[in-house]
Amino acid sequence: MNKKKQAFCHTRAFWMFVAPAFILFTIFFLVPLVLSIGLSFTNFDGWKKMDLIGLKNYIKILKDIEFYKTMIRTFIYTAVNLPFKVILPLLVAVLVTSKLLKGTTFIRTVVYIPVLLSALVVGITINWMFGQEYGLINFLIQNVGGTPLEWALNSKLATFVISFASNWASIGYFMILFIGGINNIPRELFEAANVDGASKVQVFFKIMLPMLSPTIFIVLLLSTVNLLKEYALIQGISLGGPGTSTTYIIQYMFDQGFNQSKYGYASAVGVIVSFVFIIITIIQFKFTKGGGEV
Amino acid sequence: MRKSLSKVLAATLSAAMVFAMAGCGSSDKATTDNTNQSATEGTSESSETGEVRGKTMKVMISEEPSTDNALKNALDKWAAESGNTYETIILSNDDQKTKFTSMAKNNSLPDLISTVGIHQLYPEEFVDVSTIVDISKFEQTPLNIIGKAFTEDVYSGLPVQFTTTCFYYNEDLFTQAGIEAPTAENPWTLDQLYENAALLQEKTGVKYGFAADVSRARYDILMYANGGKLVEKDGDTFKITLNSATNVDTLNQFVKANEDGVMPKAIWAGATTDNPVEYFKNGDAAILLSGSWNYNTFANEISKFQYGIMTSPTGSASRSAIIGGGALAVPKNGENSDVAIDFLKWLYTDENFKAYLQNDKGLSSMKGIIYEPESDKARIDYEKLQDEVNQVTETFETDESSSWRVYKDAEYRDTLKRAVSGELTAQEALDSFAKELSAESGWSIAE
Repeated sequence: MNKKKQAFCHTRAFWMFVAPAFILFTIFFLVPLVLSIGLSFTNFDGWKKMDLIGLKNYIKILKDIEFYKTMIRTFIYTAVNLPFKVILPLLVAVLVTSKLLKGTTFIRTVVYIPVLLSALVVGITINWMFGQEYGLINFLIQNVGGTPLEWALNSKLATFVISFASNWASIGYFMILFIGGINNIPRELFEAANVDGASKVQVFFKIMLPMLSPTIFIVLLLSTVNLLKEYALIQGISLGGPGTSTTYIIQYMFDQGFNQSKYGYASAVGVIVSFVFIIITIIQFKFTKGGGEV
Repeated sequence: MRKSLSKVLAATLSAAMVFAMAGCGSSDKATTDNTNQSATEGTSESSETGEVRGKTMKVMISEEPSTDNALKNALDKWAAESGNTYETIILSNDDQKTKFTSMAKNNSLPDLISTVGIHQLYPEEFVDVSTIVDISKFEQTPLNIIGKAFTEDVYSGLPVQFTTTCFYYNEDLFTQAGIEAPTAENPWTLDQLYENAALLQEKTGVKYGFAADVSRARYDILMYANGGKLVEKDGDTFKITLNSATNVDTLNQFVKANEDGVMPKAIWAGATTDNPVEYFKNGDAAILLSGSWNYNTFANEISKFQYGIMTSPTGSASRSAIIGGGALAVPKNGENSDVAIDFLKWLYTDENFKAYLQNDKGLSSMKGIIYEPESDKARIDYEKLQDEVNQVTETFETDESSSWRVYKDAEYRDTLKRAVSGELTAQEALDSFAKELSAESGWSIAE
């Protein structure tokens, strides 16, 4: 009886702890998800038009060349940036956990500050730096007699600016994850390697990297998802241009829904994109065995 | 006891978190300002004359009003005279567009909205203003363009800000280059506009000879000047003409000016949030195609050079202008829509609208009431602005009557941007938009 009561108390405590998160998850994720799937089968215009149109939205998307172009652009952007998202914070984390370096707290703080800024503020800051007419970088280039760079006209430069901003804004957060991972590696392993005469490079590749596998997996996963759904930063920097060269899938979806009032169509895009993202995540899980191996 | 306390605390924290999050979710980025609310707050009542007193009107406007804002001054004066109060809700024009439907569904609409187009898109949600105010007091063209619903023959708003496209020029740079500004008697052609813009760059070293707002309405005046149009009447319906050879030529000329660096290509190629108005204010653009709404801003903010209004150029067909502006509209389901109606009746009397206009320093949409500038220069410039209003073409009015913007608006501008960026040719861009518009509207594309 006593055990039963104890078990009941445990269960009740479990639900009490879980309930707030579950309620929020339901209100802000599950309900919109179900609504979105439902809307994807309608021609909802955000107002009074909402007829069931079956799979028409999906068929239209699969025939829409702009959708494919935007998806491919999104994948390329993600694939190019992903290594930087993982490697840069890892290197910074290794650096700031090194006992050889002074002022590591200051460096950690400086690197972490962009994480505290909203994506739009990051966009504005980056604009201030990379603005074509009045930007700091072009000002400096002109001051040393160079030709200002066409950040806003060259699609590669525009993509570079967004990539730079995205990495700059996230490096601090992932650095913290890596620092946690590095600090959790048993000291004995490093000491043993030292005794065995392993070089710093060998320690990094043979001990640190394998031991950081779970952290690397998390960073990889979060970075992939964040890159695939990059939006606010682009709105603050390039507005998707020049032309549509920095328009990625979330911006395309937002534009279809909120600017063109094609909520049904945008919902269908959202459903397809979600499936694609889920498949990518599953592949990542399979390849990395959930962080068990890298 | 301690256990119970912990449970209560846990429950309270959980509830607080839920409410806090729910609060975040419903903020809608709108901010409210309880302006002038303390004066006469109390019970609602109506006087025997039918006037409304002692109520609070919720007014939605697109940006925080400055102390000398004309609408704010009018509201203050009306509140003092009528014994009512008002609260302002700030919601940008873009947010108004995306959030209006939710607000209407939730019955949380304000009593009065100062808006650009919401009332035209959703006229069924607004009071027919012709039942409130004698609309024969208004100039017909601005009333139709600003106040009339897109798809119904009903006036869902009254013009409160009447604007026209216009060209500003940097007088100092013109003098330095030895170029005389065009006049109504001797206007430039579009070719001369681009040539002189290039000449200004060459002779004065100004960064850009000519800049234009990133707005299809600004671009379109070049199209109308060349005799182009977006649609044409076809019995009871319309045919799409926006990809005509004339329009392709106009767009090609525009793209070339951007390619040649006469215009700041980054602006229209669409990868910057830079505003060409800032270029003009900074002296980096010699000519600016924008609108009358900037006149007072320039008067307050430009001090390092002289500027003026320049007569718009003539294309292969005529000169042209696009008029527009903001309206005041009364949602039917506002809690105190009777107070908003009272305010409109008050504002659109000759005396009060004249006072409003003197503060607004804008163009007038009411017959016989005009803004009288104090300085001679401003008077001359206002005469030029008034002259621009007269350049509205029939093709523009036909396009507006088609309500094509119900189907597509920002997409048209984005298509033009793709042409300027070089992603599409002018022909491809206009063809693609014509197809999109045709698919949405059901109108056929003219051969």
